[in-house]
Amino acid sequence: MTELMMEISNVSKTFSVRHSGKVHEITAVDNVSLSLYKGEVLGVVGESGSGKSTLARCAFGISYPTQGETLILGKSLAKKSNKATQELRSNLGYVFQDPAGSINPRMTVRDAIAEPLQLHSKDQKVISARVAFLLDRVGLADSQSRRKSHELSGGQCQRVAIARALSTNPKIVLLDEPTSSLDLSVQAQILNLLEELRRDFDLTYFMISHNLDVVSHLSDRVAVMKDGKIIEVGTTRKVIDSPQHPFTQELIRVYSGIEPSNSLPTNFHLDTWQEGPLNTWAYQNVAKFLPTRNIPASHTPQVLEQQIDDRIGVSHMDWQPKKLPLGQVLQDLHTDSIVVLRKGELVFEEYFNGMSKSSPHLLQSVSKSILGGLYGKLIDEGEIDSSHTFNHFLPELKNSVYGSATIQQALDMTIAVQFSEDYTDPNSEMARLDEAIGWRSSPDGREVGLKSYLKTLKTNGTHGKKFQYCSANTDALAWLISEVTGKPYQDLISEFIWQPMGASNAATITIDRDGLSVGNGGISCSARDLALFGQMLLNHGCRDDVQVLPAAWVDETFTGASPEVDSADYLQALHPGGSYKNQWWVTNSPQREIYAVGIYGQYLWLDPSTGTVIAKMSSIPIPVDHVHSRMHVALFRAICNVDR
Amino acid sequence: MSTAIRVSDLRVDFYRGETLVNSPLRGINLEIQSGETLGIVGETGCGKTLTATAIMGLLPSSARQRGEIEFGKYGALKPESMQNIRGAEITMIFQNPQSAFNPIFTIGAQMKLVAQKRNFGRAEIPAMLDQILSSVGLTDTKRIVSSYPHQLSGGMLQRCMIAMAMISNPKLLIADEPTTALDATIGDQVLKLIRDLQEREGFAMLFISHDITAVAKVADHISVIYAGRVIENGPAGDVMKNPYHPYTQGLLGAIPSASKARGALTAIPGSVPSLLRDITGCSFAPRCGKSSSQCAQEPPDVEMDEQKVACWMVKQ
Repeated sequence: MTELMMEISNVSKTFSVRHSGKVHEITAVDNVSLSLYKGEVLGVVGESGSGKSTLARCAFGISYPTQGETLILGKSLAKKSNKATQELRSNLGYVFQDPAGSINPRMTVRDAIAEPLQLHSKDQKVISARVAFLLDRVGLADSQSRRKSHELSGGQCQRVAIARALSTNPKIVLLDEPTSSLDLSVQAQILNLLEELRRDFDLTYFMISHNLDVVSHLSDRVAVMKDGKIIEVGTTRKVIDSPQHPFTQELIRVYSGIEPSNSLPTNFHLDTWQEGPLNTWAYQNVAKFLPTRNIPASHTPQVLEQQIDDRIGVSHMDWQPKKLPLGQVLQDLHTDSIVVLRKGELVFEEYFNGMSKSSPHLLQSVSKSILGGLYGKLIDEGEIDSSHTFNHFLPELKNSVYGSATIQQALDMTIAVQFSEDYTDPNSEMARLDEAIGWRSSPDGREVGLKSYLKTLKTNGTHGKKFQYCSANTDALAWLISEVTGKPYQDLISEFIWQPMGASNAATITIDRDGLSVGNGGISCSARDLALFGQMLLNHGCRDDVQVLPAAWVDETFTGASPEVDSADYLQALHPGGSYKNQWWVTNSPQREIYAVGIYGQYLWLDPSTGTVIAKMSSIPIPVDHVHSRMHVALFRAICNVDR
Repeated sequence: MSTAIRVSDLRVDFYRGETLVNSPLRGINLEIQSGETLGIVGETGCGKTLTATAIMGLLPSSARQRGEIEFGKYGALKPESMQNIRGAEITMIFQNPQSAFNPIFTIGAQMKLVAQKRNFGRAEIPAMLDQILSSVGLTDTKRIVSSYPHQLSGGMLQRCMIAMAMISNPKLLIADEPTTALDATIGDQVLKLIRDLQEREGFAMLFISHDITAVAKVADHISVIYAGRVIENGPAGDVMKNPYHPYTQGLLGAIPSASKARGALTAIPGSVPSLLRDITGCSFAPRCGKSSSQCAQEPPDVEMDEQKVACWMVKQ
C-alpha cells in the first residue's frame, strides 16, 4: 500500500452569518473524508460556492475545521503553533489562483522565493544557490530575479509562486485554481511544468479547480464536490468514463460537449438505487449507470404460443382473513412485469411502470439460478468436477475461505464463511461486496474489485454442514468457471443457455472494475426470456427435442439438498422441509415447486404439478421480508391453482 | 441570406496628445451573415473586446479609428448615426452580469428604460417584460422584475441581460465572454439559450471568447485573433478540426480535456506580445516553431479551401 500523506476525516466547516438581525449557520464543508496518497494528484472539482476552497484551507491548516480533523503524515495540525506543528507545516506548499496577488508587490522575485528559506537558514550563499536552482527549475531566467511582480506576466508570476511553494522542499502541495487566471497557451505551460516538477521532486498534489478539463488532465483521482459534500470520488478514468452522480454527468457533458445518451433521474445515487422508489427506474436501466456486457439474443428464438387464460386475471388469492383480487396483489407487490406459462403456452402476462414484453429488468439473485444451470451443463460435459476445491482451479483463492471449500458446497451454499448477507446494514460484508462489484460507492474511492474482495473472505467453521446463503459464493463460482473455460462468463451464458434455449431479447450482465462478471445478481433480461429458461427446466432441460441442460441435473435440483444439511430457520418457516440446491430454492411441498428468487421481488417459479412457470419482476422498496415472501408464494400458488 | 455586418481593415491607434502610443488593432476583417454567428477567439489583450467596442462606436477619445464598418442598410457607420443603432439595431451582452446592471435600480426599472427608449407604450411594457423574460427561460418573472441585481444569481442575471438585449429586436448581437463568469453548467445553459433565441429571431451574432471550446459550441465561423489581426478564419468545424496557422494549432493542442489521454500539452512558448512596441512582420514569429527569415515581413492571407490563414509557412 502506498504511503498515506494526508487524511481528511469527517471534516465540517460552518460559518455564522448575520442576516437581517438573525445569525445563520452556513455549512460550507459537510462531513468530508478524503485520503491523499504519496505521489498522487487528487483533484477536487466543483462550482463556485461548492466549498472546495474552504475544504482545502481546512486540509492545509490555513483555517481550522469546525468538526473533524486533518492528519498530515499521521500527525494532526494542532491549533497551537509550536515547534512540532512548524515542522509539520514545512511539508506543505501552497500555490494560489491569483499569482500577482499572492506575491508581495514590493518584493523582488528573489526575495519572494527566498523569504520562506530565511526561516531555515541564515547562510545567504545557500539561499542564493537555492533560489537560482528553483528559478531554473520553473523556467525563469536569472535576470528576472530582480524584477517585481508587476513587471512579470501572469504566467511568470505563477512560476514564481510555484518556485516559492517548492522552496522548503514540501511533500504535499496545494494547488488552488493554479491556472484559472491564465491564458490558454500559458495554462498549458504551467500544467506541463507542474507535472514535470511532481515527477522530479516526488510531490503529492492536492488540486482544486472549477475546470474539469484541468483537473482531469493533472489528477490521478478526482473528487466531485457539490454543496459542501463530496458526491463522487474515484480514479480519473472511472469518473470520466462512467460518472455515477447526475451532477458529474452534467459536468462532463458540458465540458466534452457531448450529450450523454442516457440521463439519470435527478435523485439517482449509487448508494440507494437498489431501494425504492429509485429501483423502479433503476432495475429497468442498469446499463445506463453500471458497466455491462451483452448476452445476445438467440439466432433461433423460441416462439411462444399464446393461449391467454382469462381466469387468471380475475382470480383471487387467499390471504387470511381476506381474499385479495390478483390485480391488487400485483400492485401491492410492486410488480413491474409478470409472465405465466402453462404447459409451454403463454397464458398470462402483465407489464407495469413502462415495462414491455421485451424490456430488460434486473434479476438480482435470480441470476444465481442461471449460473446453477450453467454449472449443471459444464459438470455434465466433464469440464469441471464439482467435488474439487476452488483451490484446484484458482490457486489465487488459496488463503481465502474458498481455498478449502468445494464447488458443490458453493453451489449448495454450505460454505462456512464469515459473511453477513444483511442488505440493510451498510457495514455488512454484503455492502462491501456491493462496493467491490461497483454497485455501491466506496467511501475512499479506492475500489477493490471482485477478485481482491473475494480473496479477503475467511472461514468460520466446517464446510458442508450448514446452509448459509452467501452471495459472494456465486461470484466466486462465476469467476472460476470463466477461468476454467478461458471464456468470459457472459459468453458461457450465451453459448450454453441463452442461444440454445431461444431467448428473444439480449440480456446484459454488470461487470466489476476489472471486467469480471457479477454472477451473484448482475443479469438483466426480459420476463418472457426468464420464463423461457424456467420452461426449459420444466421440460427436463429440453427445448423441443434439444437437450439444453442435462436432465439428471434438473432432477437433482428438484430433489433438493440432503436432509443432513442444517437448514435455516427462515427457510423452514416459509417451506417446511425445504432446502437450497444447485443455486435453487426447493419447497418440498406436495407440488414439489422449485424457484429462483432475487431481493426486491424478482422470481422465477416452477410448478411441475401443473406445468406452470411464473416469471415476476418487481421493485419492492425494501430488499426482503417474510410478509412479501409469503405473499409471493401465496400468489404463485393461487395462479397455479386456477387450472388445477 | 444577407450580410449583416462587414468590417474591413479596421485599425485602432491610441494617442497621447499627438504621439502614437500603441496600435492594438492592426487590420481586422470580419463578415457576418444574418442568422449566423461569428466566433472571435484570442488570448488576453489580442483585441477581441476592442473590436466590439469599435463596432459599437464606444472607443475612448484617445483612440483613432481607420477602416470601414458596414452595417446592413445603414452602410458605413458614422459616429453621428450610432445613437439610433447602438442599443437598438446592435445590442451587446457583457461578461460580468453583476457589474453590467446598475445595483441601485430594480431589473424591471432598468428594462423599462430600454423599452421606453424603444417606443413601447407605458401600458404594454409589463406584458412585454413578462413575455421577454419568459422567453429567456425565467419563471417567476414578477419577482425578477422587482428584484435588485444582487438578489439574483449570476445565471439569472445573465438571462436578464440577454432579455434586455432582445427588447429592440436587434439585427446584430455582440456577446462578449457571456459565459466566462458563470459556472460551467450554468454557462452551458446560457449558450443553449442564445442559440435557441438566434434560431427564433434570426439575428447575426458576434461571439467573443478566449475559450475556443465555448466558441465552437455556438459559432458557424471562427476568426482567431492574435495581436490585433485575424490570423485564421473559416467555418467553425474546419478550423477546429484542421487548423492551418501554427498559433491555432498550438491553441487547440493546449486545451486539456477530460476525454483526452493524459500527457504533455503542446504549450506555446512565451506569451502574447506587448502591443506597446511596434511589431514588424508576423507577430507570432517569436513564439513560432516554424518561423523563418520570411516571417520578418507581414504575412499574406492565404486561402486554403474555405479557410483564410495569415502565415508564410502554409503551403499555397
